[in-house]
Amino acid sequence: MDAAPPEPAAPPPQTPSLRVEITKRLGSFTLRPSFSVGRGELTVLFGHSGSGKSLTLRAIAGLLRPDAGTIQIANACVYDGAARIDVPPQQRGIGMVVQSYALFPHMSVRENIAFGIQEMPRAARGARVQELIALLDIAALAERRPSAISGGQAQRVALARALARRPKLLLLDEPFSALDSAIRVTLRRELSRLKRELDLTIVFVTHDLREAYNLADRIAVFDDGQVLQDGTRDEVFDRPASARVAALTEVRNILRGRVTRSGAASVSVETGRFDVAAPPGVWQAGDVVDLCIRPERLVLVRPDRRRATEDRDALIAGEIVDEVAHGESYTLFFRAAGAGDSAAHDLEIDIAAHPYAVLGVRGQRAWNVALPRDAVHLMPAT
Amino acid sequence: MAVEGASPSTPARPGDVATHRRSQSRARPRLDLMSAFAVPGILLALFIAVPLAALVYRAASSGDLLDALSKPIVRDALRLSATTSLITLVIAVGVGTPLAYVLARSSFPGKRLLDTLIDLPIVLPPVVAGVALLMAFGRRGVFGDELRATGIELAFTTKAVILAQVFVSAPFYIRAAKAGFQSIDQTLEQMAYTLGASRWRTFVQVTLPLAFPAVLGGIVLCWARALSEFGATMMFAGNFRGRTQTMPLAIMTAMESDLFAALSISVILLAVTFLILLLLRAYTGDGVRA
Repeated sequence: MDAAPPEPAAPPPQTPSLRVEITKRLGSFTLRPSFSVGRGELTVLFGHSGSGKSLTLRAIAGLLRPDAGTIQIANACVYDGAARIDVPPQQRGIGMVVQSYALFPHMSVRENIAFGIQEMPRAARGARVQELIALLDIAALAERRPSAISGGQAQRVALARALARRPKLLLLDEPFSALDSAIRVTLRRELSRLKRELDLTIVFVTHDLREAYNLADRIAVFDDGQVLQDGTRDEVFDRPASARVAALTEVRNILRGRVTRSGAASVSVETGRFDVAAPPGVWQAGDVVDLCIRPERLVLVRPDRRRATEDRDALIAGEIVDEVAHGESYTLFFRAAGAGDSAAHDLEIDIAAHPYAVLGVRGQRAWNVALPRDAVHLMPAT
Repeated sequence: MAVEGASPSTPARPGDVATHRRSQSRARPRLDLMSAFAVPGILLALFIAVPLAALVYRAASSGDLLDALSKPIVRDALRLSATTSLITLVIAVGVGTPLAYVLARSSFPGKRLLDTLIDLPIVLPPVVAGVALLMAFGRRGVFGDELRATGIELAFTTKAVILAQVFVSAPFYIRAAKAGFQSIDQTLEQMAYTLGASRWRTFVQVTLPLAFPAVLGGIVLCWARALSEFGATMMFAGNFRGRTQTMPLAIMTAMESDLFAALSISVILLAVTFLILLLLRAYTGDGVRA
């Protein structure tokens, strides 16, 4: 009838599928997370144990009642302290998987999966269970009891059980933490596949940084009951909001410095040990800042060779004072030459095993280190 | 990624080979701990087994058990004990199961007090329980006049037998069921909630089946305690054949006049309780937990 305007090719603005803004006092601990999750995204709640990420997940599920605040799932308010709304977990449209699997031990795998869809007609229920068994590749286990299957298999069953009701939101509480690393890698890939195929919105709790990086579209960094930063994975990893976030995400090179010059092309910072160039920003000369650079972004340059390009990068002379081998990579502890002996080392450098061997780092201790300007990130000092 | 020259092979060091130290212990006979501890255990086991064997032996040598069953005192006591103890069990399970779940899963002011109160009959001398019941519901008890006004007579009736048994034995069931509910990982119930199951459905389909071995243990303990109830019954219900004379009371009465009857009832009680215990162990693969 009418010519509808063509759909824009760009991805639609992300519609929040979950919005959390709550407070909860538990003894001397105060939980007060605030973050939102986009539709079809996987958001990792990342933090050390005891930082409140699992409690937050339980609050979203309706298993922990906050003291105040709001929780919205897919545009429906499931908790509002002021309006006295508290939708029970049964009606929140969520699916949940926990680290201990929590499969019903007295039911077979098939019965476990069917538990959430008992109100469906028998035939439809059977078909749905069969569909999930195929989806998660657990046909061989269908008639077994949970005690007779492995941890990795149990977690697949727990996922199938949680998905049976087609939840609007999937909540995963350290689901892979109890598993061997090989199984963990497989299940992460499996989860990414499920998310793509089923267009799932997922909140994933973990304290494993690698896992967070592997899986996350977005990351909410938890510390002491609060969300310190809530952003896309790359934002959080490359541009941490504070030195604390940088430390939690294992940046490892965090230095206090003072801005000496802030220009249109770059910002100069002195750390007391050496000077560093950073990308332009809102800084003014004299500002005290925290400066961070991820250890894998530092570049080793032979002292007898000038670095041909990128003259704008800071180049620091010094020596490697220690190193730790990880097998596939090395961590080098680098100490800048000159002034004082205050620090045992100034910078940590991660280098893959192959360049380590090719450069001959083992036999050569004196190096220059380049700090690529775009990898240097400045934060307000805290 | 290949690790080139990362791990220079370390040559084997022959000096590291552990030298065997030969222990020079003489073959001196020594009493090990387990054997030493077994001695008092064996003595105690004999102390329990011997009297029971003596009971069975004397009962068997004084006549045919089937003859005893034809005696009115034995028959009446059997019938009364069976009916009252089963009614007691139904009451204990019916009232005790919800209570046990509440005690296991929720917290409220006065919970500890309630908990202690329910455990009290376990340690209270049953005779005291009987006197207490009498003082509350007896003819001259605190509620005696009210009960008489409504035409209810409790003391020295079969109802009194049941009340005495419930008072004394229900706590055994409640304790065991509570422990059973507590032992179930609450995460399982919470997962059931997230899967849309109501609290009722979760209780019936998840909690109760998982707690069933413990609940069954409680049922057995409770029933055995009700069957053996003596002191409270004696005080509150008296000793009237056919109405309040349960098996333990009948044993006491018969000891004065008809030893064979007393022995027969004793052996029946022993056999029934032993059998139940064996069945329970076969089912749970373990002893009764309370």
